[in-house]
Amino acid sequence: MGTLASAIGFGLVTASILALAAVGFSLQFAVTNVLNLAFAEVMGSAGYIALLSTHAVNNIWVAMVPAAVFGALLSYGVNRLIFVPMIKRGTKLFGMVIVTVGVGLIIENVILAVAGPNFSGYALPPVHTHHIGPFQLTAPQLIIMGLAVFAMISVHLLLRHTKVGFAMRAISVSATLAEHSGIDTRRIVDLTWLISGALGGVAGVALFINVGAFTSATANEFLVVIVAAAVLGGVGDAYGAMLGALVIGLTSEIEAAYFNPQYKEVVGFVVLVIVLLARPQGIIAQVAVQREIGR
Amino acid sequence: MAFLACALSGGLVISACASSASGGSGGTGGSGQGNTQPLTIAVFNPYSGANASYGPEGASGCFAASTAITATGGILGHKTFTCIAVDTKGDPVDAVPAARRMVAITTNLMGVLGPSSDEASATAPILNGAHVPMMADTGQVLYDHTNLAYFWRNTPSDDFYGYAMALYGHDAGYKNAALVFGNDISDQGTVPTLMKGFTKLGGHIAINEAIALDQPGYQSEVQRVIAAHPDVIFDEFDPQTAATFFGELQQAGASIPMISTGAQYTNWISAVSRAMGASNLAKIYHNVLGYSSAGGPAFNAYQSNLLASGANVPDAKQWVHDPFSQAAYDGVVEFALAMLASHSTSPAVWDSYVTKVSNPSAGAVIVNTFAEGKAALAAGKTIDYVGVTGQADYNSWHNSNGAFTVTGYAPVNGALPLIKVYSAAAAVKLEG
Repeated sequence: MGTLASAIGFGLVTASILALAAVGFSLQFAVTNVLNLAFAEVMGSAGYIALLSTHAVNNIWVAMVPAAVFGALLSYGVNRLIFVPMIKRGTKLFGMVIVTVGVGLIIENVILAVAGPNFSGYALPPVHTHHIGPFQLTAPQLIIMGLAVFAMISVHLLLRHTKVGFAMRAISVSATLAEHSGIDTRRIVDLTWLISGALGGVAGVALFINVGAFTSATANEFLVVIVAAAVLGGVGDAYGAMLGALVIGLTSEIEAAYFNPQYKEVVGFVVLVIVLLARPQGIIAQVAVQREIGR
Repeated sequence: MAFLACALSGGLVISACASSASGGSGGTGGSGQGNTQPLTIAVFNPYSGANASYGPEGASGCFAASTAITATGGILGHKTFTCIAVDTKGDPVDAVPAARRMVAITTNLMGVLGPSSDEASATAPILNGAHVPMMADTGQVLYDHTNLAYFWRNTPSDDFYGYAMALYGHDAGYKNAALVFGNDISDQGTVPTLMKGFTKLGGHIAINEAIALDQPGYQSEVQRVIAAHPDVIFDEFDPQTAATFFGELQQAGASIPMISTGAQYTNWISAVSRAMGASNLAKIYHNVLGYSSAGGPAFNAYQSNLLASGANVPDAKQWVHDPFSQAAYDGVVEFALAMLASHSTSPAVWDSYVTKVSNPSAGAVIVNTFAEGKAALAAGKTIDYVGVTGQADYNSWHNSNGAFTVTGYAPVNGALPLIKVYSAAAAVKLEG
């Protein structure tokens, strides 16, 4: 029981980081239909902004604010300056995936050129493990979990109880119909990129805090798991992404605790394949949606 | 930074990055009569990805050697000797086309530093087929007995590192070991001989964990290790994985001595000390690495040439005591001396002269620098280059397994104080 409880605790930490990222990724895809594989680089660049900010504020949690703002602005800027013009020229779903890969590589290499190949890390105060019930967690991990819960509740309130959220959900079902119903789709899409980028920024800082040391490539190594969590829950569904993150986080840690840790990442994908065989639309989504980018 | 920018440009660096790779017909096969353009060594290593530190490490040694060679007036009419970066990205998918492009368009390509374990299996046959001599930094055991004529290795292979780690673990009095290694080919190569050696010396393997690299957390793995109650952890993985793993081990309240390999890099130490605290790291740190000297004429020449290469090597002093930087330097000097000894810049000719200028032989004049070797060869003497990594002795498979050192870590000045030295013979004895 002790091993299982520990693994669940550790899995919740991984799931928290994953949920922050996967919800941002999924929300943005739901509204824009752009499968943004540059998302990890938004996370990574925001993580470096937090590093820079700590020189001024000397507190990583405060530094998370400019990181989130930067993630939002970068995400918004990339969409406005690169993705929108490409879509207007008729680039379709698959073409845009390749464009986002290219944008991600550019961002990653800009970080590499500026920050260099050496590892960086946040200066955190000495960290101790707290025993909370059956769980053993550090203070930063508890804060990350708290942040994730706060972000998930905020996203829920946004989607269910605000006009913006209603508009987002409407656009995710049919952008054309939403536009004809009087929704300012351009404004909502811009807002979505900003929110998605901010979540990515927070996720990037949380990831970098947890791994202890990072380079320009660190966030990108997390991308496949983020996409897997989003797809597992039902791609384009923010609630599905939360659930997907939880499933992948828990299964990987439980596998590592009981079986062979070198396969902890693989197990998450095995679960993904099994779920998609049974429910191609993912765990949450009611139906699989054929998506395409509108001009 | 210019060198880094070149590395970023997609793998192969051409004219804008180094004057050597411009014009001409390209390819290898010697510089040709009347060709006085610079001779080039490509640092064929990862500059991006998880092992991005390999490239700058090799480049530091290469530029130090090129500075030394160019200062003497160059080689056989080529006044300049230079280095270029070819980014393999640590992935065969990227490394293979990068190797083909490099071979196709680089003028006066004399050889490469690399490949590393990340890309050696895919690219070493390509380079060998193109008659490009390699001073490889891969530790893969399969190259212990290779028939690749252009493959050279002046650093110990992974299996020898395994024996050296076992030797030190035993000598330090540890009996119950946890093995925690990355699950990639470059990390796992050490495990079989480490297990064989440590158990042969009476030790017990409490747990053998192969862990997935670069995960966001390793707490479940940490708990498994703690539950096995080891008195020592043998380990090898990249800085990010190490930082996360040892940081979480520290957070779990465990302070278990580590015997690592590949943990000598500034990058590695910086990453892990950030995660667990420098003083905590110093309490448990032991690292086994290939022998490197810290004094004497060869070291002095290496150090001065490295520090004089600051325009191409950012923060050059970080590489002064780096054994792989030193090995890269020695490798390039050996290649250059082989060219002089053979009176040829055709790799097909000078490749076989590497042992003639590097291995001990009766009547050979011992030289410690490129300048000394050049002068001795000009005087018609046979030479034995004893470089900064000590006496090379290449066997028939072009492997030179030198001695090993065990170092600690001093957080005050970042130095790696020497704890113990093991000869290659000691490792060979354990193998038998």
